Amino acid sequence: MSMKEKDPVSGTDLTGHEWDGIKELDTPVPWAARWALWISIIIAALYWVFYPSFPSVRDYAKGMLGYSSRAEVATALQQADASREMTFAPFASGDIDKLAADPTLEARYSASISKLYADNCAACHRNDLKGQVGFPNLVDRHWLWSGTPEEIEATIRYGINAQHDDTRIAQMLAFGADGMIENQQVEEVTEFVLFLSGQQHDATAAEAGKLVFEENCAACHGDDGRGGYEIGAPDLGDESWIYGGDRDAIYHSIHFGRRGVMPAWDGRLSDAQIRMLTLYLLWNAEDVPS
Amino acid sequence: MSTQHQKLERHSLGFAMAILMVASIGGIVEIAPLFTIENTVEKVEGMRPYTPLELAGRDIYVREGCYACHSQMIRTLRSDIERYGHYSLAAESMYDHPFQWGSKRTGPDLARIGGKYSDAWHVAHLEAPRDLVEGSIMPGYAFLSETRLATGHLPASLKALSRAGVPYTDTQIENAEKDAAWQADAEQYFEGELQASYGENVQVRDYDGQPGRLTEMDALVAYLQVLGTLADLDSLNLEEVQR
Repeated sequence: MSMKEKDPVSGTDLTGHEWDGIKELDTPVPWAARWALWISIIIAALYWVFYPSFPSVRDYAKGMLGYSSRAEVATALQQADASREMTFAPFASGDIDKLAADPTLEARYSASISKLYADNCAACHRNDLKGQVGFPNLVDRHWLWSGTPEEIEATIRYGINAQHDDTRIAQMLAFGADGMIENQQVEEVTEFVLFLSGQQHDATAAEAGKLVFEENCAACHGDDGRGGYEIGAPDLGDESWIYGGDRDAIYHSIHFGRRGVMPAWDGRLSDAQIRMLTLYLLWNAEDVPS
Repeated sequence: MSTQHQKLERHSLGFAMAILMVASIGGIVEIAPLFTIENTVEKVEGMRPYTPLELAGRDIYVREGCYACHSQMIRTLRSDIERYGHYSLAAESMYDHPFQWGSKRTGPDLARIGGKYSDAWHVAHLEAPRDLVEGSIMPGYAFLSETRLATGHLPASLKALSRAGVPYTDTQIENAEKDAAWQADAEQYFEGELQASYGENVQVRDYDGQPGRLTEMDALVAYLQVLGTLADLDSLNLEEVQR
């Protein structure tokens, strides 16, 4: 290495490059920046030693600390479960009837359970629990599979027409589209259902529809059309409709059938969480059944 | 004026060798981990290649840019797992080319969306997101219900993937068009054939609520409903996959 030429004015080294008589100062980077760089390099090297880093032929360097992000999150989840177990201790009890009878729980837990509801249920049944077309209202006290705590719990756990071995199964057949009854009969039975629910209807057609109803519909919906909890057949005589209660919607349901799906939450939600949601529905039920 | 570097610069062959050596470090860092991919991909039961209908749905997912807002990667963070479920495994995207991981979520992660909502919900939501979810900023995709699913390219798609290492059999490639239509058949006539070909966890039904029509909505919903449901997490040896 030859001696560096110095700039006569500032006394700084020159790089030795020259362009048309102009020479470049070889000003070093500030010492702080230089140190920061070296310290970073040292820290990086320490990371290589302590944390998982290089792959090897069959495995990888695990590092001296034996760190694993999957083990770490497993511990974090265990701690969270433990603290939840304490916070939500009452829900560890499997006796849902006893929980439903406890009036102190609602004030304490309703707010936190509403988050669980919003994250999992609100997409279909909406934040106000009142459902929307195709997705039932949960607070109007009109139930498909009965509103007892155990039955609600079972519906959440196993779903309806869901991908679960124990799921509830219910289907409204496509009476018109599949040719089980004539189109005229679909129209007549539509009028009869309008009559059942106390809406404006054509009395003559409804009279004819009554026979069609008795032969085709009563097996599930009952002779009086008030439904049945054992098979999840809706009550046709109330003001609560899943797919709409006007003439067009009823006609559509009878012609094309319906097969609503409630997903099974078994596995996705814990037993305690399913219990919480069951109670949340009961707490929010509207006061006066019509 | 002759530093070591200047000497090196003046030997063209030596300098070329030095450049090659330094540049290859980058290559080794990227390629070497692939030699241990067998150890990276967890051993878990249930994983299978996408059926042709699911694959067509995946292509629509990519075509519509769903990945720009939705990731498919549940990280090993408590907050992620509490909301979306078990952290994603490498095995769960081993047949994805390209994978749909991501680090930006405008919408929720979809890695385990399968089975969380009903088909009818997905259809209604894709058609008009704000009708179902207040405050959603997701665009509507109503045209998917109106668009007939093109299946002509599916054998070629399966073949391309098989070249990338996805274990499709020749029969599966040959039957791809037919299989796609069968999986969305409301009568489920060919459920047995599809399950024999792809596995027990193939779901056969009419997805879009229009029996008798094979639409892009069928394909996309079939894809969404299978996400995160294939791997049997109970079969996972947690000790073995700690990393």
